[in-house]
Amino acid sequence: MKARQLRNHLAGYAFISPFVIGFLAFTLIPICASLVLSFTDYDLFSPPRWVGLDNFRKLFFQDNKYWKSVRVTLTYVLFAVPLRLVFALLVAMVLNVQVRGVGVYRTLIYLPSIIGGSVAVAIMWRNLFGDQGIINLGLIFLGFDPVRWFGNPTAALWMLILLAVWQFGSSMLIFLAGLKNIPVTYYEAASVDGAGPLRRFFRITLPLLSPVILFNLIMQTISAFITFIPAYIITKGEGGPLDGTLLYSLYLFRQGFVYYHMGEASAMAWILLVVVALLTALLFATSRFWVYYESKGGA
Amino acid sequence: MPGKTLRKSLIYHSCVAVFTVLMLYPVIWLLMSSFKPSNLIFVTADSLVPEPWIWDNYTIGWQGIGGYTFGTFIQNTFVIVALATVGAVLSSAFIAFGFARMQFFGRNFWFAIMMGTLMLPYEVVMVPQYILFSKLGWVNTILPIVVPAWFGQAFFIFLIMQFIRTIPAELDEAAIIDGCGRFRLFTRIILPLTAPALATATIFSFYWRWEDLLGPLLYLNRPKQYTVSLALKMFLDNETISNWGAMFAMSVASLVPVLVLFFLAQKYIVEGISTSGLKA
Amino acid sequence: MRKALLMTMVLVLALGLAACASGGGSGSGQTPSPSSASPGGSQAPSGSSPEPVTLRIAWWGSQPRHDYTLQVIEMYQQANPHVRIEPEYASWDDYWKRLAPQAAAGNLPDILQMDLSYITQYAGNGQLEDLTPYLNREIDVSDVSESALSGGRLGDKLYGFNLGVNALQVHYDPALLQKIGLDKLPDNWTWDTYKELGQKAKDAGLYFETGLRPEVFFAYYLRQHGQRLYSPDGTSLGYDNDQLFVDYFTMTRDMVLMGASPTPDVIAQIKGIEDDLLVKQQAISVWQWSNQYVGLQTAAGRPLEMHPLPGPNVKQGMFLKPSMFFSIAANSRHKEEAAKFINFFINDIEANKLIKGDRGVPVAGKVKDALKPLLPPELQKVFEYIQWAEQNSSPADPPDPIGAAEVMALFKTYDDMMKFEQITPEEAAKRFREEANAILAKNK
Repeated sequence: MKARQLRNHLAGYAFISPFVIGFLAFTLIPICASLVLSFTDYDLFSPPRWVGLDNFRKLFFQDNKYWKSVRVTLTYVLFAVPLRLVFALLVAMVLNVQVRGVGVYRTLIYLPSIIGGSVAVAIMWRNLFGDQGIINLGLIFLGFDPVRWFGNPTAALWMLILLAVWQFGSSMLIFLAGLKNIPVTYYEAASVDGAGPLRRFFRITLPLLSPVILFNLIMQTISAFITFIPAYIITKGEGGPLDGTLLYSLYLFRQGFVYYHMGEASAMAWILLVVVALLTALLFATSRFWVYYESKGGA
Repeated sequence: MPGKTLRKSLIYHSCVAVFTVLMLYPVIWLLMSSFKPSNLIFVTADSLVPEPWIWDNYTIGWQGIGGYTFGTFIQNTFVIVALATVGAVLSSAFIAFGFARMQFFGRNFWFAIMMGTLMLPYEVVMVPQYILFSKLGWVNTILPIVVPAWFGQAFFIFLIMQFIRTIPAELDEAAIIDGCGRFRLFTRIILPLTAPALATATIFSFYWRWEDLLGPLLYLNRPKQYTVSLALKMFLDNETISNWGAMFAMSVASLVPVLVLFFLAQKYIVEGISTSGLKA
Repeated sequence: MRKALLMTMVLVLALGLAACASGGGSGSGQTPSPSSASPGGSQAPSGSSPEPVTLRIAWWGSQPRHDYTLQVIEMYQQANPHVRIEPEYASWDDYWKRLAPQAAAGNLPDILQMDLSYITQYAGNGQLEDLTPYLNREIDVSDVSESALSGGRLGDKLYGFNLGVNALQVHYDPALLQKIGLDKLPDNWTWDTYKELGQKAKDAGLYFETGLRPEVFFAYYLRQHGQRLYSPDGTSLGYDNDQLFVDYFTMTRDMVLMGASPTPDVIAQIKGIEDDLLVKQQAISVWQWSNQYVGLQTAAGRPLEMHPLPGPNVKQGMFLKPSMFFSIAANSRHKEEAAKFINFFINDIEANKLIKGDRGVPVAGKVKDALKPLLPPELQKVFEYIQWAEQNSSPADPPDPIGAAEVMALFKTYDDMMKFEQITPEEAAKRFREEANAILAKNK
């Protein structure tokens, strides 16, 4: 019995060993280094100097921009993540049919997500939301006032949120794969029982999709917290107007690679890590109330 | 009855098509811009139709920079992306099986570590990691980009895990009783059943690495090693005239491989369990 | 098979840990002090058959610069068969992203293009070699004026070799200027003229200018009043009268509020020189560096004129700016060879026929003279302007102190806030001074 248990443990480690080895070899040292650096004054060019908690003190008590970036990021995460997920799920359900040509739709709708963080997308987005851009033309056509997307901090942040929503493809794809994993027989059985589409959605789709929803929720939250490429390319790296799009990671990047305050950047990164880790743990904790696994092997 | 299905399908197609076009407007703008003369792209930004319609952006852009054509850059990118994607997907599936189906000491600890690696912004790990790879003598090789991929990638591990966990555990037990070893259980039963997740991971891995700029920027310094993402930025300069046309044209051209892969892989996502799955 | 795999993994792991142990003493992976890599100039045997040498050279720029620089390198390699040069080029953003980790790892290219705004940061921390010992040995400076050289000096050390000279200018479209009733910008104009012209431009439905970058033109304004933006030692702001700040920024803000200068959000929408407001015939002038004239002219596709900045005290305010430098990394193992290449780049006339002043007006007199008749007319104009500026300028400020990037961000923040009327110039002056001084005080 004991030998079998031991063999179970060993087998577990055998399977995760690539991760463990890779982590020890390539990731652990840099991560530890960044933690140590967060207690130093380091400009990349000369040796780091130990300053204790100074970086954290400065960020918390002397840096208005830091708190500004925290507020901007929280707003961004709060709107971008749910909107993107709901949108992705809806589209995935529409495209989860056996109709001729649906593969083409899927590919085309996924296209916006492929052009990702390139310069081209920045140019395009700036053009779309420009004073004479199609969005403002549309607003005027519908009888609204045009919006100065680049002049108003809130509007500028929404420009980024909309970009995140528009690039919903990766979440959609995962939902699509999840939907495909739900055996058709379940729906057939439900239809025989006379369940309507809404009932089928809430009784079958949602519960069986819940592991995938959990995955998307956690991953999108994490990535929304650490993303900055869209803000970087659309605002020319500055996070304007009036710091309205100064996402946390953009500010972190500026600290590290524009001002060369790698110590403060590392401190920011570790604060973010702790906050996001707590949030993720919280999501995992709530998951036992709403996520349904077919196999109970999991935690 | 056939009339009703036809009507339904007509409504479906027209709704989805309209939605697709709306979503695609910016992409169409990008495509059309690639046929406009470079200096007119922004001046005529509100018109979709190129006037005049030219192909020069493609021919000039393809010539690349510094004597290397875009063919070289695409080939460089493809080698890196293919090696890294195969490694990342296979190793991640293997690791995911361990996390999802094995009970072992320290499992939650390692899972937490794995999730943690996703949460630390890369910018602060970048410099220490560069120093590490530079001490290994790996700068100016593709090793710093490709090798770590073979040790699993947290995003894919977690993704595949979640899919494995939707597979009933009774299947494993049945297999074990049939005398299947764990490794065979993994390759024969779990892998085929998670095909949609594997296809998804393949698409993501391929595309993320295709567009990755930072890795190639740091580790590939010689122009003959440059990837597409690096080469695209060579057309641009803040201070003087930029070759926007060539940049747009080559952006479009470099989308083609990703699109082809997506179109091929999305079939596996669709066919997934409902056709091939439960026969195992 | 499995064993072999295991062995490789163990090896990789061991290597990783070793790297940690050697590099992470104080927690970070530090460079093994740059000096250990370079046993001075003693190792270069200047015998009859020189040893083969590989040099890495890095620069930023766009396609035309990449193309001709590669040609120059090819030329140099043919003349010096023992030297092989590996180019590493990138766009401006990417260049600096790549350079910083290389510096941290002690792995900088032998020759690297440097900018005035970064040179203090790199040189101040021992990453760059002092070029003074190479002058008139490997690098012939008999034909280069001290004022052109001095741009790369920090204290008594020369950390960057100036590749070309720039000066500030107003570039304008004479056809648009005529719409406000002028054939040309008046000689001896002043900031008051600027305000008047702004009013006229606004009445004609045009912008007078496309926005003045505060860190550049406020610095000029300060120089006109005998003040400097930074103190000589770089530990505080160099001007002590906030009234200058208030006057200058009230003026530029009023231009925006009146509609004679674009608001920050209009500027944010501009994607490149191709949709610049002047190019689109919405603005009369662009205030920028002399080397940007040719690009603007090409983008506009119609004749443009150039003019000095407004007075009074133009000579006191004007200065020549090094457009960019070549520096030699302290970790380079072939510093003499690197210096020889820099010499070639600066003094060789054939090479400069390819360079065509893209990196600023050449610093070597002979090269400048030989080049001038061969240039297209718009470039000749730039050369002439620089010649004029040489007689009508005062010595440039020393390179920006460490922390200048943050001060620049402060300028941007307060400039925008003033233009969006979120803060008065008086309040901004006070807060700017406090925050900028706090940043610069770290250099003490």
